[in-house]
Amino acid sequence: MAANALPLKKFVIRTFLWLPPSFAVWYFSAPYFVVIAGKLARLLVNQFTSGVVSAIEQTGSVLLFVTTIKVHPTPEQTALLLPEVNALLYSYGLALFLALMLAEGARWWKFLVGVVILLLVQSWGIAFDLLAQLGIRMGPEVSAAAGLSGWQLEVIALGYQLGNLIFPSLAPVMVWVAFSRLFAGGVSGQRGENQSEPKMGEHQR
Amino acid sequence: MARFFILFVVILVGLFAAELTQPVQRAVVLPWTEGLARLSAGLITLFDSNVAASGKILQSTTNGFAISIEAGCNGIEAAIVLIAAMLAFPAPWTYRLIGILAGLAAVQLLNVVRVISLFYIGQWSMQAFEWAHFYVWQALIMLDVLIVWLIWIRKLPRRPSLPDSPAPPMPAGATQATT
Repeated sequence: MAANALPLKKFVIRTFLWLPPSFAVWYFSAPYFVVIAGKLARLLVNQFTSGVVSAIEQTGSVLLFVTTIKVHPTPEQTALLLPEVNALLYSYGLALFLALMLAEGARWWKFLVGVVILLLVQSWGIAFDLLAQLGIRMGPEVSAAAGLSGWQLEVIALGYQLGNLIFPSLAPVMVWVAFSRLFAGGVSGQRGENQSEPKMGEHQR
Repeated sequence: MARFFILFVVILVGLFAAELTQPVQRAVVLPWTEGLARLSAGLITLFDSNVAASGKILQSTTNGFAISIEAGCNGIEAAIVLIAAMLAFPAPWTYRLIGILAGLAAVQLLNVVRVISLFYIGQWSMQAFEWAHFYVWQALIMLDVLIVWLIWIRKLPRRPSLPDSPAPPMPAGATQATT
């Protein structure tokens, strides 16, 4: 059976069946993706505050950003600020993406392209998590030291909310829809057995 | 397809930015979240009387475990995604309205299940709670949105087919491409 003729019910059942193994693949592969996502996130952070991150350390899927910002825990002590980001919070969409693509029986190159896109989404989440810590959550002293102020803080707040609440779960679905428009046409019932495959969104025009 | 994606992103970001403003938080988000906590507590009391809701907090009266329903767990972001997807997709307005109302009901129903399940999972194991809260339920809610959206697309009226007419003659030597 062609993937694009897969009935919706069967697709949903397959997706649910693929979810547990997909979560396992995501969890155990996450530390490898985190390395790349952390470096990409650093590039994005540099667009807001250049050079503030001097190094990145990794423990499992947690990234520790070594910054050049100095803080004073006590009047006698000076320390470098080391914010942490749990990268898993921004990458679980990979599990959903894998389940959707496996349920559909998508081609391998679509998996690869999707993973790259989701890596960028993950980098967005990590970058804005770090920026939100530096610019908003750690107080005005740290945001001043990081050189973040005014409109940047507004952009960071929106970027963080999008990267935290929307993108991680939405991105895999959007990528799937983009890759599977013929399939979406098939499950939408817009296609008869002997009709040519319509593209999603073509009806009603 | 491109038109759909552009419209979808524009509506999504617009609604999401509006959601973050203080007036919308005060008038919609907070009352909604508190209502969700009350509804969840009301449903739980059908089989377990040891629960109390206060504001957006759901608390066990036996062991003190409590969950606070925050942004991302109140179903509003999922609702925004669904609304944006239905508004961006070409469809008659009546279908959009019905789809949004029915879709929101389906998404919120599952969200109530999420809140109640997290309330009990948290009392059982915090590690399981974190997994369910941060990863599994987030994916399931978005999968729910996708399924609702696909069902809605399926229910849309079909484009009227053209009356049968003889195909124009093919030029000599031409081959017919099929997709």
